[in-house]
Amino acid sequence: MSAAFASSSDSKMNNVENDNRTVDSVKKKSFGDKNKKNDTNANSSTVIKVKSVIPRRRQDLLKWYGWGYKDSMFKLGEEGATFTGNRYSIGGKILPHLSKWAIDNLGVDPTKPPTIPKIPTTFAESRLPEPIRLELEKIALVSVDGMDRLIRAHGQTLKDMSQLRSNSFPRIPDAVIWPESHEQVEKIVSCASRHNFVLIPFGGGTSVSGAVTCPAKEMRPIVVVDTSDMNSILWLDKDQLLAKVQAGIIGQDLEREMRARGFTVGHEPDSYEFSTLGGWVATRASGMKKNTYGNIEDLIVQTKVVTPRGVIEKSCRVPRISCGPDFEHIVMGSEGCFGIVTEVTLKIRPLPPVVRYGSLVFPDWESGFHFEREVARQRLQPSSIRLMDNEQFRFGQALKTENTWGGVLLDGLKRLYITKIKGFDPAKLCVVTLLMEGSAEEVKEREKKLNAIAAKYGGIPAGATNGENGYTLTFVIAYLRDVAIEYDVVAESFETSVPWDRTLALCANVKRRVRDECARRGIHKYLISHRLTQTYDAGCCIYFYFGHNTAQVSDPVNTYEEIEEAARDEIIACGGSISHHHGVGKLRKKWYTDTVSEPGRQLLLAAKKTLDPDNIFALANMAFEEQGNETIVKSKL
Amino acid sequence: MSEHVNFVDILEPRRTQSGIFSFMSRNWRPQRTMVMDKYCSTQDLKDIVANSVYLDSIIEAECSRTGLSKEKLHQEVRNYLEEMGLDKKMHVIRWNGVFFLKICFMMKIKMFVNEAAVLTLKSKMGKNPVLFLPTHRSYADFCLMTYLCYHYDIDFPAVAAGMDFYSMAVIGRRMRETGAFYIRRTLAGDPLYAATLKQYVRTVVGKHAVPIEFFLEGTRSRSNKSMPPKYGMLSMTLMPFFAHEVNDITIVPVNISYDRLMEHSLFAYEHLGVPKPKESTGGFLKALRSLNDHFGNIYINLGAPLSLREYLHNDTSHSKETLKPVDLQQLTPDQFKKVQKIADYVITLQQKNTVATISNLLSLVLMQSLMKNRLLEYEELIQEVEWMVQELRNLGASVFENDVRSSVDRILVVHRSMMRLDKDRRLRLISGVLTDLSSEDKKKMKGHILQAQTMVVAVPIVQLQLYVNPVLHYIAPPALIYLIVQRQALSRDKLREDYRRIRKLLSHEFFHLEKDEENTFNKALDYCIQNRVISNSGDLYSLGEDTKLQYLLRWATWPALTTLLKAADVMTQQSSCGHKLALKLVQQRLESERVHPYCLSLEAIANCLSGLVAAGALVKLKGDQDIVYELVPDVMKESTILVNSILPSFSVDFANNFVVIDDKAISRL
Ligand SMILES: Cc1cc2nc3c(=O)[nH]c(=O)nc-3n(C[C@H](O)[C@H](O)[C@H](O)COP(=O)(O)OP(=O)(O)OC[C@H]3O[C@@H](n4cnc5c(N)ncnc54)[C@H](O)[C@@H]3O)c2cc1C
Repeated sequence: MSAAFASSSDSKMNNVENDNRTVDSVKKKSFGDKNKKNDTNANSSTVIKVKSVIPRRRQDLLKWYGWGYKDSMFKLGEEGATFTGNRYSIGGKILPHLSKWAIDNLGVDPTKPPTIPKIPTTFAESRLPEPIRLELEKIALVSVDGMDRLIRAHGQTLKDMSQLRSNSFPRIPDAVIWPESHEQVEKIVSCASRHNFVLIPFGGGTSVSGAVTCPAKEMRPIVVVDTSDMNSILWLDKDQLLAKVQAGIIGQDLEREMRARGFTVGHEPDSYEFSTLGGWVATRASGMKKNTYGNIEDLIVQTKVVTPRGVIEKSCRVPRISCGPDFEHIVMGSEGCFGIVTEVTLKIRPLPPVVRYGSLVFPDWESGFHFEREVARQRLQPSSIRLMDNEQFRFGQALKTENTWGGVLLDGLKRLYITKIKGFDPAKLCVVTLLMEGSAEEVKEREKKLNAIAAKYGGIPAGATNGENGYTLTFVIAYLRDVAIEYDVVAESFETSVPWDRTLALCANVKRRVRDECARRGIHKYLISHRLTQTYDAGCCIYFYFGHNTAQVSDPVNTYEEIEEAARDEIIACGGSISHHHGVGKLRKKWYTDTVSEPGRQLLLAAKKTLDPDNIFALANMAFEEQGNETIVKSKL
Repeated sequence: MSEHVNFVDILEPRRTQSGIFSFMSRNWRPQRTMVMDKYCSTQDLKDIVANSVYLDSIIEAECSRTGLSKEKLHQEVRNYLEEMGLDKKMHVIRWNGVFFLKICFMMKIKMFVNEAAVLTLKSKMGKNPVLFLPTHRSYADFCLMTYLCYHYDIDFPAVAAGMDFYSMAVIGRRMRETGAFYIRRTLAGDPLYAATLKQYVRTVVGKHAVPIEFFLEGTRSRSNKSMPPKYGMLSMTLMPFFAHEVNDITIVPVNISYDRLMEHSLFAYEHLGVPKPKESTGGFLKALRSLNDHFGNIYINLGAPLSLREYLHNDTSHSKETLKPVDLQQLTPDQFKKVQKIADYVITLQQKNTVATISNLLSLVLMQSLMKNRLLEYEELIQEVEWMVQELRNLGASVFENDVRSSVDRILVVHRSMMRLDKDRRLRLISGVLTDLSSEDKKKMKGHILQAQTMVVAVPIVQLQLYVNPVLHYIAPPALIYLIVQRQALSRDKLREDYRRIRKLLSHEFFHLEKDEENTFNKALDYCIQNRVISNSGDLYSLGEDTKLQYLLRWATWPALTTLLKAADVMTQQSSCGHKLALKLVQQRLESERVHPYCLSLEAIANCLSGLVAAGALVKLKGDQDIVYELVPDVMKESTILVNSILPSFSVDFANNFVVIDDKAISRL
């Protein structure tokens, strides 16, 4: 087993009651029909129908107003903070240091009751005309229930969360439809083209770019195409190490099914508990273990996409092709604007016999960075290798449970401190976490080499447990934003891709810029931290966390966005990119044209015109404008 | 096939003292169908299938659907493979060969083969899989091609056999060891079995360098004539081509004609509804004893090999199916349609390769004599047979025998329990024996329970009809033209239209291809005019003056048309009716009327019902247990009127016919 998350929570997840995949507003009949149809389809076929962890009524299992499972959240309190539920390793444990850390760094008042929003009862009325709804119902399951629509109006950006909690979205979808197959999607798209309404492909809704968020000014009816019922493994070829999978499958379902059969896809973005294969394709996602398994673009052999102008699919399933520009790359990163990815042929790998964690401590960020650079130069990266800065290291300390991992690290360090590294400054040291996979020999060999390189840069091994705990935390960190908001702190992460030679300067400059921006606004309680999460031959990915206390600001979300925008300007000035894996969406449109050049933008518009001339997929991401009332009127004049 | 074909009796050289043993123990280096770097053993084949991506995928899906364990399903697949898988044991083959030859000599059989065709085929082997698709008229078919291959040093065909043989002690095993593989009749309800079979067949075709042999019609044709093909097995065998695993597949249509079918009396009973006894080794041994008799000649006529690739015009268009792992590739609906076309076409090729035997011709003559209720003396008989030879050759049939007189004498020996010359040297049909069916038997009857008296009359005539049937496809087209013209002179267009309709109604009773019909019609029309069956002036076709030929044409299709009309009548009355009940009712109706006994044939009735469906007079629905027919009143009415208008009228007393001789009665006297 790799991530501790998997071992600690997989079995429990199976117990989640998710038998009730019906939606209130749906008649019993259609559900029965559905099962029956599947049964005959499955006869003598190779289709593996996957039972998803997540029910069709997502809100039964997932928090409607925030991240993740309902039963899992941070709670601050006078006797110490806790993390509820038992899905993650720190679940149910007391976190004695967290409250103090939050008070010190973010000026939180833990005695205050958290602000939990009330479940909304009023929703914008559905604009979907009755006849179209009836037509859609003939194709697949449809819901116009308010909650079903609200929770699919957004992704996971700070703004999304803020509007969700206050039920103040300018626009929510008018209906949700759950197709089960490529053919049904074709019918839905043709229906939308005929009646000129908008479709939004919705996977896991984990988008952090605003990509999946309802376009605010759209006048036409909006139907969300929830892909989660398209989650079958169509075939699995253990010989070729390939699988063809429907695009709506959720990461953890896909991985569980593969592992049960001795394989792994190995694509694990931090959101993989909830994000979908189609979402990964549409956003060019990147997984933690990309060094071994590749990013989504390396994993995909082929996709099948329904556009309003027909289906794009290569006619052959080949490892490589020289045939002009590769249109898979029009699909990848299309952010839902050209059509719906329905089926994906993916590479799979046999499960590695040995999974080993490791950690290394470096005296400071710079030595850690040079270590990473050297590992990349020698192409010795294990499945995952991450460098955390000192702020994150300390935050990690704050998350330690009473007598567990933080203690181990400090104890280990104390001993080392005495014997070896007197020079380490606790306010500067940084930690590298490692995840190694392979045969026992390979792993041993690799660890030896990494330790040797680390030694050159002043790093020392700090044990497997620390490494493992670092990866476990990955999935818990996502829950922090909710508790932050509940105590008047807004927080968000942003990331970039940057060449090696500009990395150190970029990190320093961005941190500096954020500090300056906060100071200018009178914000004194904030956190700015970064880590180096991926390495390549030509550079790396830097991942920033930023959060601040909102006591002094009138419009917290806006303020946050201003500061993030300033940070992005700085990133780009320093030679970084608009994004490494989160995508452009609606949040980062400002930098799109500069990034791809004007002819590049024209090319994107031309692709849109070819594939979706009526703008059925009116998500308005990247270079696409929102089409409001005015534009329609204007074009008529 | 009117061109002269040279047939050789391949058993002849074995008819010497040591002929059998030295031949069966010779050093044998057979020609394979494909030259490969590595050849698979029969165990390899099973392993390839068991480890295939296809079955793995099916099992994965099945497990996730049913929750059964993978190990269990893997084991099931292994068991299925043990059940179906072929084996090859050279010593068994040799001993079987000895046994086969001994029996042939006991049965006094001559096995005629158009050697030139075999040698040409063999010379072209080595590049791609070869399918032997023989007609299936008798269990004997199973051994013939295998022996033929041994004779000509061609590797043994992998023969698809029904499970009936599987359960026979010793014989089931022996057949497997000479290359038989077993298939269950129904694949429905067991997807894992179906998948295993599919993959096994595909693997055998693609990876086993021996010919594949199976019967397109799926079962022995009890009527000794072609039936519409089944498509399942052909789909499976052609899959390697459509998946481009092999470059081509050579399809060899084979017609096997018998002077005498071992099973003819069983078949006659089956037509009337008495079910066939279950195959058992005991029964087989009993049958062996009755084989010490004369069975005459067998003609194995290999048709020109058909290159699948050429037939599909080098069609290399490919489908989205290539996106799947090759093992998982399935036929597209379009490809399946092509398979259907090929199957239908091959059946017509089998028909074209029919060898009309003297048995067939003599039976025609005897049947005609029954129809006329007029006895034929020996010399007249010879003349009549010679006339028949001539007429059938005119119609395009190939008749191998030239010395009619000696052939007739030979056949009279072969069929001496069915027909004989009486003391005045007139040809007589030997009557059946009055047997009361036990109540057990009656319970098992498939149709209406016919009276014992009916059976006595019907059995020998139905049996005789079995030898008339194989040549009917030559006679039917001109016969129908004649009957239409006989009704009333008419224009060519009208004639063709009525012909088309009636052919459709009889499309199952007289198998043919819709797309060949234009050609068949034109040829039959020319034939009728040339032979003065009909004449034409301007665009009007009226009766000609060859009354002798007209008479033959008139009675030849009489049974089929009668059955068709009665089926139509019954269905008009019922308006909606299950298949089994329909068979019973039609049979019951026919028993009470003076009709040709072959009309009572359940197979003929079923064919007529299918014809009515094809013509749109009935709609066929899948009921809970049985197929259900629903009447389409308008179409049915028109069809009935048409059939009625051309149905010839005969009044023949089959029960008290001069031509029938009751030997038992005589001996009792
Ligand atoms: C806590 C957290 C951690 C994250 N970690 C990572 C990470 O490590 N790596 C990473 O790459 N990303 C990460 N993300 C971002 C996000 O998870 C990815 O962008 C993910 O790929 C989105 O998938 P989804 O199924 O949730 O798509 P959604 O959010 O539902 O949709 C995203 C976009 O894709 C489109 N889309 C979805 N499905 C389809 C389809 N079938 N066809 C066409 N378009 C479609 C939508 O219209 C939308 O434009 C993280 C996000 C969060 C909140």
